[in-house]
Amino acid sequence: MPRAVEQEAHAGVVLRVDSLSKRYAENGPPALSDVAFEVRRGELLAVVGPSGCGKTTLLRIVCGLTSASAGTVFLDARPVLRPPREIAVVFQDYSRSLFPWLTVVRNVMFPLRRTQASRAERLATAEAALEELGLRGVARKYPWQLSGGMQQRVAIARALVSRPEILLLDEPFASVDALTRAELQDVLLRVHGEHRRVTIVHVTHDIDEAAYLADRVLVMTPAPGRVVRLVDVELPRPRAQTATRSSDRFLAVRNEIQEAITEQQALQRGGERQ
Amino acid sequence: MTASAARAARPLLGAAVFLAVLGLWQAEARRHPSYLFPAASAVLERASHVWPTSEFLSDVVSSLERLGAGYVIGAGVGVALGLVLGSSVGLRRLLEPLTELLRATPAISIVPAAIVLFGLGEAMHVAVIAFAVCFPVLVNTVEGVRAVSPEVRDTAAMLQVGPVERAVRIHLPAALPQIFAGLRIALSAAVILLVISEFVGAGDGVGHYITFQQSQFNTEEVYGGILFLGLLGYVLNRLFLVVERRVLAWHYGAVGESGR
Amino acid sequence: MAAAFGTGIVAPLSRVPKGTIVAGGARILKRGNLSGWLFVVLVAGLAEVIVRAGNLGDSVAAPSAAVRALASELWAGRLSQAIVTTLHVYAEGLAVAIAIGVVAGIAIGSSRTLLAASSVVLEFLRAVPAVALIPLAILWFGLGVPMHRFVIAYAATWPILIATLYGVRGTDRLLHDVARTAGETRLGTVVRVTAPAALPGIAAGIRLSAVIALNVAVTVEFINGGGGIGAYMQRQQNAYNLPELYGAIVLTALLGYAIHLTLRAAEQRALFWVGEHRLESR
Repeated sequence: MPRAVEQEAHAGVVLRVDSLSKRYAENGPPALSDVAFEVRRGELLAVVGPSGCGKTTLLRIVCGLTSASAGTVFLDARPVLRPPREIAVVFQDYSRSLFPWLTVVRNVMFPLRRTQASRAERLATAEAALEELGLRGVARKYPWQLSGGMQQRVAIARALVSRPEILLLDEPFASVDALTRAELQDVLLRVHGEHRRVTIVHVTHDIDEAAYLADRVLVMTPAPGRVVRLVDVELPRPRAQTATRSSDRFLAVRNEIQEAITEQQALQRGGERQ
Repeated sequence: MTASAARAARPLLGAAVFLAVLGLWQAEARRHPSYLFPAASAVLERASHVWPTSEFLSDVVSSLERLGAGYVIGAGVGVALGLVLGSSVGLRRLLEPLTELLRATPAISIVPAAIVLFGLGEAMHVAVIAFAVCFPVLVNTVEGVRAVSPEVRDTAAMLQVGPVERAVRIHLPAALPQIFAGLRIALSAAVILLVISEFVGAGDGVGHYITFQQSQFNTEEVYGGILFLGLLGYVLNRLFLVVERRVLAWHYGAVGESGR
Repeated sequence: MAAAFGTGIVAPLSRVPKGTIVAGGARILKRGNLSGWLFVVLVAGLAEVIVRAGNLGDSVAAPSAAVRALASELWAGRLSQAIVTTLHVYAEGLAVAIAIGVVAGIAIGSSRTLLAASSVVLEFLRAVPAVALIPLAILWFGLGVPMHRFVIAYAATWPILIATLYGVRGTDRLLHDVARTAGETRLGTVVRVTAPAALPGIAAGIRLSAVIALNVAVTVEFINGGGGIGAYMQRQQNAYNLPELYGAIVLTALLGYAIHLTLRAAEQRALFWVGEHRLESR
């Protein structure tokens, strides 16, 4: 164990998932089977796979909301047993995760309630976080008064305001329209690049989004959820919607991901027939 | 009539019908005077004499005090218990048969027990009202807490919210719309139990006033007393709505005026 | 002691005339939650201990005494007449309330003009609690059964009327449009689309009214005497027969619970197309 810790600190591994398995019912099918990977400090790791591959289950186990049937998650070499304060999560359904009885700025201030800072300081921090996410003039509004895209930005601002080590996003842009999605992708990239260098794990079913955003892409397939490929994206930053997406490398990456998934689906169908 | 004119005329229609009914009543009472159905004018005339008197007003004050105390105590207990039960599935299952049994107990059956326990004084009234208020509030609070979305729960867990803080800072505001629904039901229950307890056990109060007038066969005063109760209920309801609208401003905006 | 207490519970249950309590009891046991019922027993046991140890027998009856009194009263037939009397007037009042409430609710709910016209009158009448009308009802009807029926019906009509109204108005406009395009008449729409769609709301209203009606029935009897359970409670209270009084309270609670369970079961069976959550949340 001590050697592994040394190695991890050396390699800059902030999150290590070790042989994770999850079964919901005693004799039911496994949702996750022997999932293992590492997340390096400061990278943006995308987790992509078709519906039902256990991405959300994986994310919930990583952030401590659900427990695994077998295996462990290590955060800074310490096992995750309950939701750690170093991890912040952004859920897909923003309209249900923002507290409707609080204004936008109070929502963003909420994670800071335990800190020693004065109310004025907390307010300033929250407003700065909103600024970073490109939100102006919405502080005193209620979440429902904002558009979907803006609400999701508020959710991201709230997640980042306490300076977490890791930001987990569970299909955060799936519920907004395509144009807003592109906008939000760029916001996320900017936030990741600018002053934060926070480690991001981004779960999505959108292959293009994964390739566009990530440093590395973890490809999963369903039944049971397994890691089938880890793709190094190796696209230059900063990325741009048109330039990056039309590059050869982008195409190669997204095709590699697509093939990995298609291959698995074929294998499965073949297996079923037998 | 244009559509918008018709829409504007609608509230007036209601008032017009109401006045028409009153007018009919009045005409009938004039034509066939009967002591059981006094004219509305006679009732109002009597009321205008009785209501401003210090006796009646002190009755009103007594009733309001009992109502206030019982409502606040019952609501407080209901919300507190509801928050606790709502947060724990285990506790809820454990307490479910007991709560259901208590809830099925007609509030009236508490009155004789309350009389035996507390005598015929103030404590009896307040206890009976509090009992009746507690249950709708409790049930609706539990419902409200159960309905808190999984996303909010997960977010709260990630934000390191402990059990007490969760109940007070998350569950309570999230459940507030549902709690208010229960509080509203409890308000009419409170008025009803106030009247019942005053029929049975009081030396004063509006309920006692009505019952006394009935024993004296003062029909006009009985009608007047009932009219007063109706007005009181109406006013209390309106006040409640005003408070609700202010407290739940964030909710109305989120779901729209008609939603709940 | 627990065994004695146990038989105290079971014996009167099988003696009560209506089969509903037994059926309801079986349903409860089947649904499980043994621990919840054990908890009830535990609380009763605690109350027993407190009353005996604290010598509170002057103001409160111990649960075992209450149950024993209830059992013996039922066995001796002194309560059965009261139960029948109460349930009889209760059923009549509730029937009237359902008839008026549903018909009026549908009529008013379907027509915006009617709704506007009746709104002020309804709001005004609704604000008056039924029990407040008792003195008036006495003046009108005297002290007999008609007076009881009137007050019960008055009280029970409102939840049904309001629930029907909301049910009708809440019917998805889409369903109405479908009916119209299918060539359905106004009345036909009401009968075939509105009424069934409003049924869950109506059912919830009836369930609420059923409990309210029992409340009111016992209340009127308590205040004005006569032959029912409420009058029995008043007599026992006057005579300071605490065990009998508390026994009657337990009886009314069980009756109310049985009615609630029966109606909920009937509702779930008749309205099988509605999800359980929607029915539950009333």
